[in-house]
Amino acid sequence: MALKFNSSKLMAAGFVLALATAAALKLRVTDYAPVRKVADFRALGPTGAPVVIYEFSDFACPSCKFASQYIERLVSLNGAKLRVNFKHFPLTSMHPWSLTAAAYADCAGRQGKFWEYGKLLFEGQEAWAQAPQKPAQFEEYARKLQLDFAALESCADDPETLKTVQLDMAEGDLKGINGTPTFIVNRRRAVGGRQLLDAARLNNLVTDEPGGK
Amino acid sequence: MKKNEPVKAPPLTSLELLGFAGRLAAGGVLAYAGFLKLASPAEEFAYAIETYKIVPGGLALFAARTVPWFELYLGALLIAGLYTRITSLAAGALLLFFELLLAQAWLRGLPVTNCGCFGSSGGNSLQFEFMLNVIWLFAALLAWRFGSRLSLDAVFTEN
Repeated sequence: MALKFNSSKLMAAGFVLALATAAALKLRVTDYAPVRKVADFRALGPTGAPVVIYEFSDFACPSCKFASQYIERLVSLNGAKLRVNFKHFPLTSMHPWSLTAAAYADCAGRQGKFWEYGKLLFEGQEAWAQAPQKPAQFEEYARKLQLDFAALESCADDPETLKTVQLDMAEGDLKGINGTPTFIVNRRRAVGGRQLLDAARLNNLVTDEPGGK
Repeated sequence: MKKNEPVKAPPLTSLELLGFAGRLAAGGVLAYAGFLKLASPAEEFAYAIETYKIVPGGLALFAARTVPWFELYLGALLIAGLYTRITSLAAGALLLFFELLLAQAWLRGLPVTNCGCFGSSGGNSLQFEFMLNVIWLFAALLAWRFGSRLSLDAVFTEN
C-alpha cells in the first residue's frame, strides 16, 4: 500500500478531523457538580468540610451496595474532614421498586433514620429489588428500626416525597449521570467503588502507607 | 480516444457499492460510538472498561479518555473516504480488539451489565454485542477491499 504525499488530501483530512473534534467538544458535559442541596437527614459530616462527596445511588443496585461500604468507612475514618450528601438516582427501568425504596428511605429520614433504613435496604436488596408485588421488606425494616410505619407509609405515598426523589433524578440526568453509583468528589467525578477510592486517595481521605488509614 | 479527453470512470460494480455501504456502516458506527462516549464523562466509560477486568484502574481511565477519539477520527475519515485503505484496516483492528474483549468477558462469565460499546447509556448482552461486532468487522473488511470508490480518495486521485 503505497502512500503518496498529497497536500490537498491531507488538508481535507485535517478539516474532517477538526470538524469532528469541534462537534465532540460541543456535545461534552463539563459541569458536573450538583446544584441542589440535599435535606439535612441525607447528609453526613460538617457543612464546612474540605472534602464534599455527592453520592448518586440506587438502593436496588448491587454496585451501590458495594460502594456504600466504602462511604461508611470513609466517614468513620475522616469525621470532620468529610461531608457526604446522598442523592437518589433510582434506575427505574431496571429496578421496579427502587423509586419506592428511595421514597421510604427519605420518609425514614424524616423520622431520623435515613442512613439506617438505607443500610437495611442495601443489605436486603436481593430480597426486594425484583419482587413481583410491593415488597414486605419496606415494612419489616421500619419495624426493625422502630419507626412509625403508618406515618412512613403515608409519607412515602405523598406526591411531594416522590417529587423530591424525581428532582434528584432530573438533576442527575442534567449532569450526564448514566450509571450508579456515581460520586462527585470535590467537583471531580468517580463512577463505582474503585474510582471512589482513587478519588479518596487524591483527597487524602485514605493512604496506601502501612499503618495508614 | 482523443488527447486531453476526460477519462470516464468505469461504472460502479455491485461489490464497489457494497464496499461503499460497508465504509458508511463501519465509519458510522465508530463515529457514533465515539461521539456518545465523548459526550459523557470519561469516568463512566472507564467504569465499563473496569468490568472487563483486564486493565488496572488508572489505565482504564486513560483508555476511556483516548479510545473514543480514535473511534471518532477513524469513523469520520471512513465516512469521508479519506485514506480508506489505512483507516478501514485500523478500524478493523480496533473492532477485532473489541471482539476479543467481549469474547474473553463472555468466556469468563464476567458480570458485565453494560459493555460500554456505545457509552454508558444502556447496553445489550455480551453475546448480542459480540454478534453485532461481527457485522461491523465484516463492514470494515468490505470497506478495505472494495470501498475506494465514491470517496474523497477517488476525487483527489482523479485530480
